[in-house]
Amino acid sequence: MKILDITFKDLKRSFTSVFSLAMMFGAPLLITGLLYFAFGGLTGGGSKADIPVTKVLVVNLDQPGSASTGFAAGQMLVQFLQDKSLADVIAVSLASDEATARAAVDGQTAGVAIIIPPDFTVGATAPDRAAAVTIYQDPTLTIGPGIVKDVVNHFMDAFSGAKIAGQTAAAQLGAHGVAPDPGLAVQAARQYAAWVQTSGHDNTSAVPSLSIVSPTGKAQASSQPAVPIGPIMAGMIVFFVFFIGANGAESIIREDEEGTLARLITTPTSRAAILGGKFLGVVVSLCLQVVLLLAASALLFRIQWGEPATVLLVSFGLVVAAAGFGVMLMSFIKNSRQTGPVMGGVLTLAGMLGGLFTAGIPNLPAAADTVTLVTPHGWALQGWKLALSGAGPVQVLLPVLVLLVMGFLFLTIGTGLFRRRFA
Amino acid sequence: MQDQAAIQVHELRKKFGEVEAVRGVSFEVQSGRIFSLLGPNGAGKSTTISMLACLLQPSQGDACVEGHSIRNDPQGVKAALGVVPQDIALYPDLSARENLEFWGKMYGLRGAALRQRVDEVLEIIGLTERQKGKLGTLSGGMKRRVNIGAALVHRPRVIIMDEPTVGIDPQSRRHILDNVKQLNEQGMTVLYTTHYMEEAQELSDQIAIMDQGKVIACGTNAELVKIVGEMDRVDLSLAGESVPVADCWRETPGVHSLSAQDGHLTLLVEDSNLVLPRLFESAARAQTRITSVAIQEPNLEAVFLHLTGKALRD
Repeated sequence: MKILDITFKDLKRSFTSVFSLAMMFGAPLLITGLLYFAFGGLTGGGSKADIPVTKVLVVNLDQPGSASTGFAAGQMLVQFLQDKSLADVIAVSLASDEATARAAVDGQTAGVAIIIPPDFTVGATAPDRAAAVTIYQDPTLTIGPGIVKDVVNHFMDAFSGAKIAGQTAAAQLGAHGVAPDPGLAVQAARQYAAWVQTSGHDNTSAVPSLSIVSPTGKAQASSQPAVPIGPIMAGMIVFFVFFIGANGAESIIREDEEGTLARLITTPTSRAAILGGKFLGVVVSLCLQVVLLLAASALLFRIQWGEPATVLLVSFGLVVAAAGFGVMLMSFIKNSRQTGPVMGGVLTLAGMLGGLFTAGIPNLPAAADTVTLVTPHGWALQGWKLALSGAGPVQVLLPVLVLLVMGFLFLTIGTGLFRRRFA
Repeated sequence: MQDQAAIQVHELRKKFGEVEAVRGVSFEVQSGRIFSLLGPNGAGKSTTISMLACLLQPSQGDACVEGHSIRNDPQGVKAALGVVPQDIALYPDLSARENLEFWGKMYGLRGAALRQRVDEVLEIIGLTERQKGKLGTLSGGMKRRVNIGAALVHRPRVIIMDEPTVGIDPQSRRHILDNVKQLNEQGMTVLYTTHYMEEAQELSDQIAIMDQGKVIACGTNAELVKIVGEMDRVDLSLAGESVPVADCWRETPGVHSLSAQDGHLTLLVEDSNLVLPRLFESAARAQTRITSVAIQEPNLEAVFLHLTGKALRD
């Protein structure tokens, strides 16, 4: 019962201290929030890009002629630009002539004008001809015209490839004494352009060129923001939980200096109960900190922390490791004047080694990930990353077990030193 | 009740490395009495009571509080004792009431009994009106009173007070001394340490004078004063350098002992009527002006001077 009394007293002191509350909840949420709002705008808060739609006027002057046998490259480019998959970034409409289109851009009623020349189909298919599409843009715009240019280039590259393929085929046939069909180049261009159109826009393409899956084999939830806010928040949680663990354990030093520890020893309360009560206070405050930070970050940043059982296991491992680490760290400290530099230095260094400050950087070298595992911080972060990726409880057993072993080891060393000190 | 020993100390010793802070201290405190340990800073008073409070393990010897040995039954000792530390040992971010409740719980009090007792203690220390304010916002004297109150919550039979009036205003000091008397009237045994002679004289049934880790005299105020016999205590103040005159006066017939500090000299003399003219004569020869003279009845200061050759304040 006295253990609980000491725990409750310590919790009351912690939760009425502005500094403790700020470090417990304010700092991790604030830092993560700053990073979220600083970088979230560039990559978007969801799967869709947050870029203004650019108005594009297309002047299709292409005249395929009878030799093309119905193939019209200009018309294909218009359809390509009008595809619904591009509707989020460009709004395409047709203009009757080049002057009207240029006037619209000059008057800033359109961002870009695309002028398809009359010999576009011929230039796209005939080996000895070339045709240039003109892009006329508002000089005050950058992103929209850039996208238009990339899309048109993509389309034009397809025809260049087709022409090269046709010429190579004709040369090979000629080398073998076979006279190529004059319509071969046109046919190749049509087929190649048709393939480009489908593979470039159709998600049900038969042969996907890239498939992204998470480590558990589940597709990443589409509602997750593009910014890796989850690992950043996880890093902040781990850092500040270790900080509060050390700060809570520091109360033993403070009580020693304030004389209340000596006074406690003059009461019929065992030293084990005194240390136990203080340790329990640290554990409970860390549990509350983790729960509130997880809930707040889920609410504020829409972070999906993963399966509840996994989150529970990782939280438990983190709390035990942080409490044990804090008690051990404080057991080496002689007085409260040393706590600031030691806590700042050791926790920051351990946090850096543990990868807490680089948690949001994707594609770090594997060696960097390995180095993080020399600290409990690194194991805790690994646990959270697994939880964020949707891992089940079994998949986080290793980091959780390592955290528990480390935590109990730290605690044994710390309580041993404290007991010897206050014997 | 009053003839039983509440505290028995037998040959208590404490060594810190090579330094022996307490060197074979023995005394007894009868139940229901106020017993003072009087001595200058560093005399070994706090170390002695730290051993009695089971904060320090004695190097040798033993002591019993209400029949419980500090070596064999520290829990029994702790339950019987209330300890008022020299420095304020409370939680500044908790209120006076919360502090008292917490310390009550540490002695096993719970629920309504605890709340009722805390109310009583707040009444005793005169802080009922300020019970909800955070301790950090109270004055130094009020904190001292809460410091005492925290040792009273569990109704201890014996209370140890380690210099509870150090560094506080006269009004709070008066309040604390009255509290001590009041507690004693209620039957509580008080072991009080101080380096203020006046407090020891005012409060104590018995006084042990300590110096350099030893009890050099023990008894009632009257018994102790008898040690200096019929001698007079003379306090003199000098203008200018006092050392040459002090050296001269030490050799003057009739002067038993002398202590000098900051131009103020305290002498124990056999007959002030005979000795004072000699003192004035030698001061005149040394061209030193005496600015004040006071002849007083012997007191504990004189006893300490007599026994150690130095003033209590040295």
